[in-house]
Amino acid sequence: MPKVLMKGNEAIAEAAIRAGCLNYFAYPITPQSEVAEYLSWRMPEVNGVFLQGESEVAVSYMIFGAAGAGVRVFTTSSSPGISLMSEAISYLCGAQLPAVFVNIMRGGPGLGGILPSQADYLQATKGIGHGDCRLLVMAPASVQEAAEMVMTAFPLAEKYRNPVMILGDGLIGQMMEPVEFPDQLKSEASNKDGWATNGMDHRGSTTRNLVKSLFLDAEQLNDNNLILRAKYERMKKEDVRWECWNTEETYDALIVSYGTMSRVCKTAISMLKEEGIEVGLVRPQTLFPFPEQAVRQAAQKEGCRVVLSVEMSMGQMVEDVERCVQGALPVKWYGKCGGDVPTPEEIIDLVKTTLSSL
Amino acid sequence: MCAEIRLRGIVIIVGNYGSGKTEVAINLAVHQHGQGCRVRLADLDLVNPYFRTREARHVLAGRGIDIILPPQGFLQADLPILDPQVAGLIRQPGDLAILDAGGDAVGATVLAALGNAFQAALPSPQMLQVVNPFRPNTDTVERCLAMRRAIESAAQLKVTGWIGNAHMMDETTPVHIQQGYALMQTLAEVSGLPLVCMTADESLANRTKALRMSCPVLTIRRQLMPPWRKPAALSSIKKE
Repeated sequence: MPKVLMKGNEAIAEAAIRAGCLNYFAYPITPQSEVAEYLSWRMPEVNGVFLQGESEVAVSYMIFGAAGAGVRVFTTSSSPGISLMSEAISYLCGAQLPAVFVNIMRGGPGLGGILPSQADYLQATKGIGHGDCRLLVMAPASVQEAAEMVMTAFPLAEKYRNPVMILGDGLIGQMMEPVEFPDQLKSEASNKDGWATNGMDHRGSTTRNLVKSLFLDAEQLNDNNLILRAKYERMKKEDVRWECWNTEETYDALIVSYGTMSRVCKTAISMLKEEGIEVGLVRPQTLFPFPEQAVRQAAQKEGCRVVLSVEMSMGQMVEDVERCVQGALPVKWYGKCGGDVPTPEEIIDLVKTTLSSL
Repeated sequence: MCAEIRLRGIVIIVGNYGSGKTEVAINLAVHQHGQGCRVRLADLDLVNPYFRTREARHVLAGRGIDIILPPQGFLQADLPILDPQVAGLIRQPGDLAILDAGGDAVGATVLAALGNAFQAALPSPQMLQVVNPFRPNTDTVERCLAMRRAIESAAQLKVTGWIGNAHMMDETTPVHIQQGYALMQTLAEVSGLPLVCMTADESLANRTKALRMSCPVLTIRRQLMPPWRKPAALSSIKKE
């Protein structure tokens, strides 16, 4: 397929189909409604299913049902909609069901606004639902990367039998960029006969599979949590992703930033370079697992005097950055979350002011 | 030099999602203003939440282009607000009134609500459909015509001409414009409607001349940029 010009939301929709996901349940909300709009005509073309639920709560349990039956399934929403789904996400984690959730974040709390935001970081990485549940969270910074992450998300969800979240700010969904898809579909789903409620006849089995998150026995519930914990630890070892940028030579300051915000930071870093000020960047591509070692090592580089967490929130990722730096250097936060994305000029001022204040 | 773009009366810009309507509307407004024409521009996008004409309101107002927007308190909303000023604009368009509608048929639906005002307008409104052949839904003549029918049906107005906006953002080359031009020529021929102009980003303007297109070429100075890029300067434009 030749390159086409797509909105992030359209690319996310097409990528899911390319990944062999033919089941999509959703409820519209700005700024991600184009995913549903696109799939409303595209799913029938590939004999897939798009069903608009009566609410996000309904949608989230359609996801539970479809995932439990062993088919690839996904949904998309934006911040308030994800909050409504959080109960079912916890159930999916508890029942060990693979599914993909896309959150194209808008400003909050509450109804907030419709402009881009990154203020669901803590929700996605640490508080997505009740109980000890975690998602593998991926954060794209371009339309192409959003498409690639969606295609990667399905096999990862199946590898861990756990939901995966794509966390993009509103601009990732709304902006248009050229995007290329692989010609061949990668639809080979893993064998789900061991656990999915996909029919005893289909499996040639006489035992029922049971999908559940209810464990009334204390020991059994603890055992289930130990299984989940082992998976989350395995994610940290095997599936942490990040990008280092301008970190080959020495630098005075390190920025940690992701998504749209990281692209603003890159522009600022290039402009600072022209003035002789070197700044490195670590861009987490997975937010859980967080690239702890990469951030720690980049902060430890000789000459680096400060670490800046730049995010479209009131200071959320900065908690992870502080945890990684472990007090070795000062860690500062900068951000906005009304919808106005900080400009390259603001980041340049931030770097200069911070360096001169040390 | 090819023929000039000369638009007067009411010009409605329609097209599919992401075809570049707003960037074309803004640059058309600036171009026609540069030719000494009094231009008013109305943002009728009731469906798109980001990258709307309203984002360029300050730079346009600074150049003396009247811009009609929803009330300030609702500028950042995704609510279907149609300001009463728009009907007034249609009744008294002045030299040139450009109406930037939202994407696809759903975005053009707002035009049907203005039907009474359009019927009384003289000269009759022109409705120009912007096409970027590198967008998924308008990559063939058939799909462009299907989009036209859907928009006409929703808007209760007929498309009167085409604008070819062939680009791939920063990855655009003259080859893209050439391929787009070929499709637009076929579209004009099949539909019997004129190709009002092609577009080319200012960075490609010189290389586009070599394509010897027979229609006018509107130079695009991009205004709706992502936050890590600056909009192109409009201040250096002379009368073209």
